[in-house]
Amino acid sequence: MSSEKNLKTILKNIEYRDDAQVQKQIVDQLIDVKIRMGRIKRKIVVMSGKGGVGKSMTTANLALAFARAGHKVGVLDVDLNGPCIPKMLGVRGKFEITGDGAVPPTGPYGMKIASMEFFLKQEDTPVQWKGPMELSPVWLGLMEMNVIREFLADVLWGEIDYLFTDLPPGAAADKPPVIAGFIPELDGAVVVATPSEVTKAVVKKSIHYARGAGLPILGLIENMSGAICPECGTAVPLYEGGCTDLCAEMDVQLLGKIPFDRQLANACDRGEPLPDEHPVTKNFDAIALHLHEFLESKNKLEHL
Amino acid sequence: MKFVCMKCESFMNFENVQTPGEQSLGVTFTCPTCASKVAMVTNPGETAMVQALGVKLGGREAPAAPMELTRESLKETPEVTEPAAPMAKAQQAMLQAETEKTASGEGGGCPFSSMVAQMGGMTANGESKSEPVALSWSEAAESRLESVPSFMRPMIKMGIESYAQKNNISVITPEVMDASKNDPGDIRWSKAAEARLENIPSFVRPMAKKEIERIAKERGETEITEAMMEESKEKFMGMGY
Repeated sequence: MSSEKNLKTILKNIEYRDDAQVQKQIVDQLIDVKIRMGRIKRKIVVMSGKGGVGKSMTTANLALAFARAGHKVGVLDVDLNGPCIPKMLGVRGKFEITGDGAVPPTGPYGMKIASMEFFLKQEDTPVQWKGPMELSPVWLGLMEMNVIREFLADVLWGEIDYLFTDLPPGAAADKPPVIAGFIPELDGAVVVATPSEVTKAVVKKSIHYARGAGLPILGLIENMSGAICPECGTAVPLYEGGCTDLCAEMDVQLLGKIPFDRQLANACDRGEPLPDEHPVTKNFDAIALHLHEFLESKNKLEHL
Repeated sequence: MKFVCMKCESFMNFENVQTPGEQSLGVTFTCPTCASKVAMVTNPGETAMVQALGVKLGGREAPAAPMELTRESLKETPEVTEPAAPMAKAQQAMLQAETEKTASGEGGGCPFSSMVAQMGGMTANGESKSEPVALSWSEAAESRLESVPSFMRPMIKMGIESYAQKNNISVITPEVMDASKNDPGDIRWSKAAEARLENIPSFVRPMAKKEIERIAKERGETEITEAMMEESKEKFMGMGY
């Protein structure tokens, strides 16, 4: 009986047709991402294997520093379940949906900001998806991946110089490789760590993972690198040691150190950039300048 | 995913997608050689997985709207700025066109046009039905409707509202939604046919029921009998009855 034939033999002799057009649509979706991302000169993701180390603060302030230096900047907040970039940059608003794409709200220095927050009704509204939550292991990861894909493909960034993407915490095992796979010519990742040994151990794993996925590491920012006394302005260490040993071991350049500063924390909470003359502002400006020059020289070397 | 007709040794072709029940998709495939049909019915998890891909099975007629998946998949419909609601307008235009067609006697041949016109408050001959009831949706019913995949929602909504209009119900609640699902419309089921329907496995039963009702409607029958089910047996061979 023919039904007893070996399926492998049958499949060898018949031609596959994508008549439900699922593959075609998935390929089209990826092409849309590549076209949209291709218009952006430089794309950088900000990541850390550990939560609570200051990724979003770093992303916001790094983006502000690049914008202050005169670059056209966009910030993409793909921390879908805990978006905080809009609050830190003092941006409220919603997307304007046009035939060409979703126009993002703008923030300080005309920065374009895209975040899940702009789809939520209130600041305390959680991200809740339709679908059977008791079966969420089956579909939720796929949904979040495709939502990120839509953010990359559908937001009208226009001609910008730098796009900074704030990745969610603990994302070492999934989001960086997915984002890296989505974004053509992704320049690399800026890693954020604190000098805590626990953090450094987790961050090390995420660097290994990102490199394994082909994501270049541009450098590391040491956050909470000491604290500045609000009374006398003296810097005091929060942890013993720093991230220099981690950078040496992982062969990653240390881009800069950001102290824990009450004014910085307040500025993020209020959604107002720190004053230009503030020491932390100057730290971020120096990091931005160094990173820009590093990418420029890297680019020149690649085109020799 | 593809199905192989083992008899003809060929891939089966995608035919259509139906919605046999809430959070379920029925995807029909046909063998290009022997014309046998196979329907794959998804459970809620699989349905959500297909929806999460952001694709339309069978292909899209128009490109996806910006951030379509994100906007349509959030439990609370997000506020965005957009010039108009194109879907609602398109539906209204379709309804208007179909209503005009049926009124002028041009649209009587197509069961789908007739159904659309009837859902909009007209008979298939274009005559106005009795004064329409002003409908409202309870919060619970609205929330339940929101859980239906977006591309099926308009048709399901129209069906429920049509049922409510027919039964002079002004507030649509989850109970009304349940009742509308079981509403046989103008088709009755004989007791013997109903008993036989129970033999079909529960996960394919809604689809089989709809299909038998569709066949009955096409034939102009008002009652589904055991004999009619016997006739349809070949179509549902292997489903347990």
